[in-house]
Amino acid sequence: MELDPVIHAAARLRMTATLARIPVGDRISFPRLQELLDMTAGNLSTHLRKLEDAGYVEVYKTHSGRTPVTYLALTTTGRRAFEDYTQALTSLLDGQDGQDGQR
Amino acid sequence: MAEIPEAHATAAAQNAPRIGSDPDEPTPAEMLALLESQQRRVDSALLAPIPWLYGIWGTAWLVGFLVLWSAWPGGNPWFRIPGAVAGWTFALLLAASVVASAIFGMRINAGVRGASDFPGAVYGISWSLSGFAFAALGIGLISNGLSPELASVYFPSAYGLMAGTLYLGGAALWRSRSQLVLGIVLLVVGSVAPFAGQPGNNLVLAIGGGGSFLVGAVVTAIGLRRARG
Repeated sequence: MELDPVIHAAARLRMTATLARIPVGDRISFPRLQELLDMTAGNLSTHLRKLEDAGYVEVYKTHSGRTPVTYLALTTTGRRAFEDYTQALTSLLDGQDGQDGQR
Repeated sequence: MAEIPEAHATAAAQNAPRIGSDPDEPTPAEMLALLESQQRRVDSALLAPIPWLYGIWGTAWLVGFLVLWSAWPGGNPWFRIPGAVAGWTFALLLAASVVASAIFGMRINAGVRGASDFPGAVYGISWSLSGFAFAALGIGLISNGLSPELASVYFPSAYGLMAGTLYLGGAALWRSRSQLVLGIVLLVVGSVAPFAGQPGNNLVLAIGGGGSFLVGAVVTAIGLRRARG
């Protein structure tokens, strides 16, 4: 079974898992996301770009007073890709259990 | 999402075949464990201020209503607090809790904006609006001849019923079981307190209301600590 290569990397899996926890219609600020992931801003930006290029994450740039703030959210495609990925993982594990006779 | 026991996930991770040719590539079990632990971490981080909120209000209710109970004849058998001092102490505790919970409340879902802004703002404003409405009703009753004794039955219960109702609303909005339990308990406490007579009603609110908040603080803190792993 093919696992989505965009999500199948530790950093991006943690990022999509975190964004999937934000309710549909809401966005999370870049600093808060960084705090929840405990990643450096540079590392987070690099992986965000990959998710954005795949159409999984939408970036909203706004201002809080004079300070620019970036908000992020999974797109519908991104949320679906994450659900498909999770499902693929669990069915891979189930299949493996079947072979091993563990369940 | 399907849940697999952690021990099982670890065992599976050790035996699992690799997906790609890279031996360093994580196994599906490792990835699933990573995914689940990150989501638990997010849930507990977003809800971290809740035990603090319950703790603050539990302390305010417990101390505040004990102080009021101690101000009336027939109340606290050990010592008496002058009425004015008790009233001001209660008001100050309430004001401090409002400020503290506004600060902690902002930390819940900090950095998250969008569709949830409206329900959150409406819920926040509901507390102030209901507070004013119930206070105005009490003042109206007093201006119609309600005695100080009866006013001291009305205000604590009105406050308990208001908080109970609003917690039920919060439970529905955020699917929160702790708010559901707290809401029901506060409705019961607020409605039975007058039967304890005055000033015993204050003691019912202190122990029943304040106590429930404090139990809620401990239970939610334990739940969040477990989720953090």
